[in-house]
Amino acid sequence: MHRRFLPWLLVAPAGLVILVILVLPILDTARGTLDAAAGHGQAYLDFFDRGLNRGILWRTTKLALIVTAIAVVLGLPTAFYIARSPQARRSMLIVAAVFPLLTGTVVRSFAWIVILGRNGLLNDVLLWAGVIGEPIGLLYTETAIVLGLAYLFTPLMILSLVGVLENIDHDLMDAARSLGATPAATFRQVTLPLAVPGLIVGSVLVFTGSFTAYTTPVLLGGQRNTVLATLLYREAMVEFDWPAASTIAVIMMIVTVAIVLTMGWLARRMNPAVE
Amino acid sequence: MTARRSPWLSLAAFAVYFFLLGPLVIVAASAVSDTEYLAFPPEGFSLRWFQRIFEVSAFLDTFWISLQIAVAGTVLALAVGIPAAFALKRHGVALPSWMGTFFVLPILVPEIVFGFSLLRSVSVALDLPIVPTLLIGHTVIVLPYCVRVVSASLANFDFSAQEAAISLGCPPVRSFFAVVLPNIRAGILAAFILAFITSLNNVPVSLFLIGPGVSTLPIQMLIYVENFFDPTIAALSVLLMVLTVVVMAVVEKTLGLGYFVR
Amino acid sequence: MTQSLSLAGIDAHYGRTQVLFDLDLDIGRGELVSLLGASGCGKTTTLRLVAGFLPPSSGTVMLGDQDIARLPAHRRDIGLVFQNYALFPHMTVADNVGFGLKQRGMAAARRRSLVADMLARVGLDAFAGRYPAALSGGQKQRVALARALVIKPSLLLFDEPLSNLDAKLRIDMRVEIRALQQAHGTTALYVTHDQEEAFSISDRVAIMEGGRISQFDRPEVLYRQPANAFVARFVGFETQLPMAVTARGADHVAVTAAGGASFRLDPADWGGLPDRFVLGARAEGLRVEAGEGGDGLPATVHTRTYLGRQYQYRADTPAGPLTVTGGMTAPLEEGERGTIRLNPEQCCILPAAA
Repeated sequence: MHRRFLPWLLVAPAGLVILVILVLPILDTARGTLDAAAGHGQAYLDFFDRGLNRGILWRTTKLALIVTAIAVVLGLPTAFYIARSPQARRSMLIVAAVFPLLTGTVVRSFAWIVILGRNGLLNDVLLWAGVIGEPIGLLYTETAIVLGLAYLFTPLMILSLVGVLENIDHDLMDAARSLGATPAATFRQVTLPLAVPGLIVGSVLVFTGSFTAYTTPVLLGGQRNTVLATLLYREAMVEFDWPAASTIAVIMMIVTVAIVLTMGWLARRMNPAVE
Repeated sequence: MTARRSPWLSLAAFAVYFFLLGPLVIVAASAVSDTEYLAFPPEGFSLRWFQRIFEVSAFLDTFWISLQIAVAGTVLALAVGIPAAFALKRHGVALPSWMGTFFVLPILVPEIVFGFSLLRSVSVALDLPIVPTLLIGHTVIVLPYCVRVVSASLANFDFSAQEAAISLGCPPVRSFFAVVLPNIRAGILAAFILAFITSLNNVPVSLFLIGPGVSTLPIQMLIYVENFFDPTIAALSVLLMVLTVVVMAVVEKTLGLGYFVR
Repeated sequence: MTQSLSLAGIDAHYGRTQVLFDLDLDIGRGELVSLLGASGCGKTTTLRLVAGFLPPSSGTVMLGDQDIARLPAHRRDIGLVFQNYALFPHMTVADNVGFGLKQRGMAAARRRSLVADMLARVGLDAFAGRYPAALSGGQKQRVALARALVIKPSLLLFDEPLSNLDAKLRIDMRVEIRALQQAHGTTALYVTHDQEEAFSISDRVAIMEGGRISQFDRPEVLYRQPANAFVARFVGFETQLPMAVTARGADHVAVTAAGGASFRLDPADWGGLPDRFVLGARAEGLRVEAGEGGDGLPATVHTRTYLGRQYQYRADTPAGPLTVTGGMTAPLEEGERGTIRLNPEQCCILPAAA
């Protein structure tokens, strides 16, 4: 009987840490939004009642979708290139993709301030090229947030895809070629469908990361371009309206969980062979 | 064997790498600008912004706190994470299948939601001081990396070696320390480093927990960037990147870089 | 339309390393030829080169009367069966088999009927809608075979197709492969490291070593008359003793082996022996009997092993230690002295080392 409890004994400390410090506080926050004096669900009705909030939710979703699309477009060819490279160059390329990930979000967002600022690189180039007459405000725009987030999360997409592409048996491509498929047809009909799991994992990571990002929107979006995370922070730490902050937190949780579950379901549906 | 690649693919990959690494080069270059504002290409050459980092006591103080939190949080996470990883790999069949997912929850939950809940339901509700709250918050954030990397390392370990040790008369608990642990040392080091860097860079969780006189380095940098436009942060970024490069080089030398990819 | 295959003067390199040396190989239309050898001998390289995945450094690859050496793989019209089957995991069995037809732009209706016919032929009609993950090893191999055959290729290539199957299934499948290949009359090149498999399935076998073909002939010839020491060892003539003829009489030939031992051989059994040669012998070709004297090689046996139908011994002889066999009646005891006689059926004559 000692043996039967041993596995549980070993996972118990870590499990309790997550349960007590992560799961219970979040459940407590969620519960707090339901038993407000005004009545069940009133906090959510209040949230969606305000056009400003609906706008912020829409902006956050829109930006996250655009960033995900950009990450796919940039990540797919790069990952394909990495997976086809010889071993030595492949490790080098992976390291070069991992390095930005290990650099903090503050540093990486700050880089775009240097690029997009009034005295920044992009303004200098545009001035020099004669495209503009005087520096323009590139910073503190939605575009700046998108650039910053795409910069932040593209490496995650690349790594998710490389992991999957590397594991595709090279014989499958050879088999397709031997059966008469052109390189383009082989990519479309064999490689790409098999890369879908990586694409889904990458998209979940990039979308949820962008949807809940705080640092980059604060630094590159400024005061005007509020997103959910910055709104949550403002409600909690500036307005001290904790019920409102809790409501936003729960909405973010729900969207994240919904995305993870939907994409997981999609992955299983699209790839019935993986059992 | 490698297939021939089209030049367009190479060009696209090159462009993406330019996008990924270019901004970091720009930050590094603007750190040596001899101007009161951020400039790229740098105007003049000066190391005074590096010097300035050490004159701002807030940077030094918060770096010290970040370092302590990162080391202590990672050690705590490893202390509970290694047994969990061992149980998942060695006794996986005896555990429900959702157990693996349970340990990556801290990655799935939005950090900002976690940070706020920690403030609301733990720090305030239990009146817990700042540093312990930061510590448990960071422990939870880095725990999934510890479990995952150590599990990956255990996946390459043949548990019959431990059974051999037991059959030779080594008690089960001691056999773990004598046979299993030495064989996953590399994985534990990799987990430590990955967790350490993750903790050192964290913003969203710390954001809600800092208070008077106690902050972390990334938060301090964030506040500085919001208020000042001189190259100090560029210089500090360079130092942090150098630290990252050194850490990666150490890992590369001791383990090979495959560990970062898992 | 099936074609003959002819390789001439093929050199191939992996990076700086040369892996094939001036290789020539001719396969007639409808013939099944095996490339047999240990790993690293160049057999798989040859197959990949014919398939179009490795360009030769020099030489020609003639398929019928067309040189395909510079043709991209997808335009070669060659069916390839992989060691690990290489079925597309995201496609059903029917889609896997129809893949090549689809690439050829065949209309869906016609494709479906050809695929159905082919699946019926390999006995998998009930599995058309399944995914490869739900199939057993043998079923996967049949799908791979069907997929390669349905395009009616000019040439079929097999890359160790049976090595992932268990022993019983391996024998069934090789019979089935042979039957399908003959029914379609398709020219085939078959790569394997298993001698029994190669001999049982092939019209002719090329034994390869170090990027060269050592001998290319019918299995019977390879088995009985290997051309050189390497092939001899490969087909089981483990013992190889250099010998010289000392005298030729009407009813006997006297030979001496290294170490000074002499024998007498019956010219009726041994044909025209050259003055110097190497005697190749399987263990069954060296029979040890109790008692000393006579024409044989004197021996002291030790380490007796019971093999069921006979005994095997290690024996010390003037020519060195040898592995020999003995009959079931009156087995020798370890340490006992005896005489080794040759069984011509299980021996071969090889050219003397230069």
